[in-house]
Amino acid sequence: MSYARLNSLLIVMIVTVALIWLAIPFTMAILWSLVDPAEPWTADKLLPPVMSFYRWVDMWENSSLKYALISSYSLAPTAAILGLCLAMPTAFALGRFNFAGRELAKLLCLLPLVVPPFITAIFFSALLFQLGLNTWRFGAIVFAHSILFLPYAIRILTVSFENVRQDHIDAARDLGASPWARFRVAYLPALKPGISATLLIVFIQSIEEFAIAFIIGSPDIVTIPTLLYSALGQDFVRPNAAVLSLILVVPNVFLMLILERLMRSANPALSSGKG
Amino acid sequence: MAAIGIRNLSKSFDGFQALSKFSLDVQQGEFLTLLGPSGCGKTTLLKIISGFLEPSTGSISIGGEDITRVPPENRDTALCFQSYALFPHLNVLQNLEFGLKQKRVSRDQRDARVSEVAAKLGLETQLSKLPNQLSGGQQQRVSLGRALVMRPSVILFDEPLSNLDAKLRDQVRVEIRRIQQDYSLTAIYVTHDQSEALAMSDRIVVLNDGKIVQVDTPEQLYAQPKTRFVADFIGGANLITGRVCSQTKENLTSVETLMGQIQTSHRINKSSENVELCWRPERAQIGKGPYCGTIVHRAFQGQFTDLILEENDMIFRIQTNNDRFRVGEVITFSILPDDVVVLEADG
Repeated sequence: MSYARLNSLLIVMIVTVALIWLAIPFTMAILWSLVDPAEPWTADKLLPPVMSFYRWVDMWENSSLKYALISSYSLAPTAAILGLCLAMPTAFALGRFNFAGRELAKLLCLLPLVVPPFITAIFFSALLFQLGLNTWRFGAIVFAHSILFLPYAIRILTVSFENVRQDHIDAARDLGASPWARFRVAYLPALKPGISATLLIVFIQSIEEFAIAFIIGSPDIVTIPTLLYSALGQDFVRPNAAVLSLILVVPNVFLMLILERLMRSANPALSSGKG
Repeated sequence: MAAIGIRNLSKSFDGFQALSKFSLDVQQGEFLTLLGPSGCGKTTLLKIISGFLEPSTGSISIGGEDITRVPPENRDTALCFQSYALFPHLNVLQNLEFGLKQKRVSRDQRDARVSEVAAKLGLETQLSKLPNQLSGGQQQRVSLGRALVMRPSVILFDEPLSNLDAKLRDQVRVEIRRIQQDYSLTAIYVTHDQSEALAMSDRIVVLNDGKIVQVDTPEQLYAQPKTRFVADFIGGANLITGRVCSQTKENLTSVETLMGQIQTSHRINKSSENVELCWRPERAQIGKGPYCGTIVHRAFQGQFTDLILEENDMIFRIQTNNDRFRVGEVITFSILPDDVVVLEADG
């Protein structure tokens, strides 16, 4: 078999696997969300016997979905911005300064990710209670989310800070630029893709986070994942869960596509300034 | 008053002495080149002059004013970077204007200066392009233009031509020199390329191990290298040691070497001393003469032919316009006493 043939075969296989991986769960979620309560979708039928938007309308009107959407979509961007601000100084130090143990420090920053989320959530909430932050639940969740996803933010921004070229900083300085002008002309263009990536990743992680939102937030604050949990875990209404899953996942898919576009626009030739 | 005065400048990094007790005056409008191998301290010196490094000891003044502790953004110097360091997201015009905006130069002044420099450098048609749409030579010109619009007292060049190909390098070399003369700029130019240094400079400072080895005009430096290091670093040189044997009345000294007796018209301090001599390959006169050698290698270089000769286990190099000579031939040659330079001991 020629190399080109093997190559195209492999591409077809990868596309097929990806389609199955994505298309089947999505199709199932869409179909389940359309199941009409008048007639259940039993295992002997390929498609739901009656399809309608009843579940969508019902969830919208009779559950805390509206409230969950508002809290999820206000928690996530706030946590993303706070996470970005908290990660900046550490990433700057890790990306711009040479010091003994720098690589170890980078590794240590990633370490919290290996702890299972529920364990972190339980201990983190205990910490928040001790700090007295539990009284303002929204703030507590924002704080917890931004801290929890800090490893991602620090890692991404460290790489961005490493990409800032020293000669651009020096050139700006040589031409009389103030620290702020230096940041705008030398740092910001190199940091932009990293900043967008950090914001999006923390946003997506925060939207999907369940453990902390559940432990700290309930019963006052309902987010989409906690609502999803009650639909699936407590009541086990699969069509309702399907509606919530789609609401949760569709915006994330679009955000990931935007992220991909942003990453691609970070053209390395553009940042090098050399032809 | 000298445009730049450097006094007893030293710089060390974690025990490594990059510069030691360096003193130098640069005159107004002078094109001075710092030449030396990698690690000789030339870039360190440039960074100290531009303000990016602080010296361990010593002082620097520009126009009589001490600027040793003045940060780079407040110095009246402009640096042309080896990598050009153009801001990739700004177009040529914005790159050129950047420094003037930082210094809050009025819009009219800014436009006038930018258009003047753009015209001088042939950049008028490139103003709306981004740096990555330009060739290496054009980027170099933008980098030079960005420094020129600032009208600095001193312009500093950090190996600006090292990223260009050979032909373009020759062209930009001429341009830099022309612009420096047109604006009567005081320029300090760092390079490790001796031909660049010889072609562009009013004076060359040869550096080695953080110290000045020789400061001279290009012509003097080439014709009268002081040490073995300078002779070897600038141009091709045949170096030979010998013992001084006699001094004749016409101020000629004879030195006994493995090649035979070599006469030099250059002054030797003490008699009966071992000395090191240097003569340039193109100074040998082929034909009659006291010296001979067998050609072991021949390299045709276009305008001249390089011949490597061997005699008494010694290798030396001769350059001639005559391309008839072939490997294996024995040739005789002479060297004029004026062309034989007596070197001082290194260090």
